[in-house]
Amino acid sequence: MASNRGQGGIQQLLAAEQEAQRIVNAAKNEKLARLKQAKEEAEKEIAQYRAQLEAEFQKKVSDSTGDSGANVKRLEQETDEKIQHLKTEAARISDDVVAMLLKHVTSVKN
Amino acid sequence: MKDADVSRQIQQMIRFIRQEAEEKANEISVAAEEEFNIEKLQLLEAEKRKIRQEYERKAKQIDVRRKIEYSTQLNAARIKVLQAQDDAMGSMKDAAKKGLLRVSNDKKVYKKLLKDMIVQGLLRLREPSVLLRCRESDRKLVESLIEEAKKEYSEKASMQSPKISLDDRVYLPPPPKNGAVDSHEPYCSGGVVLASEDGKIVLENTLDARLDVIFRQKLPEACKEAPVRLNNITAI
Repeated sequence: MASNRGQGGIQQLLAAEQEAQRIVNAAKNEKLARLKQAKEEAEKEIAQYRAQLEAEFQKKVSDSTGDSGANVKRLEQETDEKIQHLKTEAARISDDVVAMLLKHVTSVKN
Repeated sequence: MKDADVSRQIQQMIRFIRQEAEEKANEISVAAEEEFNIEKLQLLEAEKRKIRQEYERKAKQIDVRRKIEYSTQLNAARIKVLQAQDDAMGSMKDAAKKGLLRVSNDKKVYKKLLKDMIVQGLLRLREPSVLLRCRESDRKLVESLIEEAKKEYSEKASMQSPKISLDDRVYLPPPPKNGAVDSHEPYCSGGVVLASEDGKIVLENTLDARLDVIFRQKLPEACKEAPVRLNNITAI
């Protein structure tokens, strides 16, 4: 009877140890799961961050394309204006210049 | 030992075991939360830095490409303006070349001009013996001017009259056909070429050569004389 009572106590202690081990293991598993979740959450936020930067980048690209288009347009316009002005002035002074050139060609200073 | 005491002791030990387990589990939970945050932040920081660098690099590429494109377009625009300027000058020169064709048609003016050009050449060369080349169509006229030119040279240079040999085997090219001053055929609008006897010194005193020289020297002056300075128009 005394040995029976001792066995009962030991069984209870063993059961308690097993329960304790289960509690600790459960905590460890939860920790692992939590770390995995950390990785998952981080990746999720990273994806959001990347999407945000991509959107900003695409906006920059389309803005710069528009800017480039406007710049090219203005540059072409300015160039055409300069060329037109050049032609107008050249036409205006051409006769005088030609006359001046011919005058010098046919003037010999000896 | 009484049964009650034994039982009480066992229960106490069981409670102790459970308490230890729960405390350890709690520590693990706390550590889990800390490591969760640390892990997440580290991952986030590392990846965000990479992504940010990636997009900064892309943005720089866009900027560089855009600057290159604009610079290319700006250069093209400048070249276009310079080309227009060159075309305008070329037109003036062509007009002047056409004008040269009329010079030799005016016999009186051309005669005096030709003599003056010969004298000028002699004065430049200052050689005792000179070889002279002219257009075949000018040969008779030149022959009639040589003595007068020699005399004038002697007076102006205070030197002995030089010997002038008129090349009767090789002539300067004829006038341009149909006034085509832009053709690739060699032509000569008038004037002479003189050379020292040994051929080492050659003086080209043709109307075309004179136009080339004067075009380079005088046109910038012409631009200054003109109300608008053509050279400034190219500034962008």
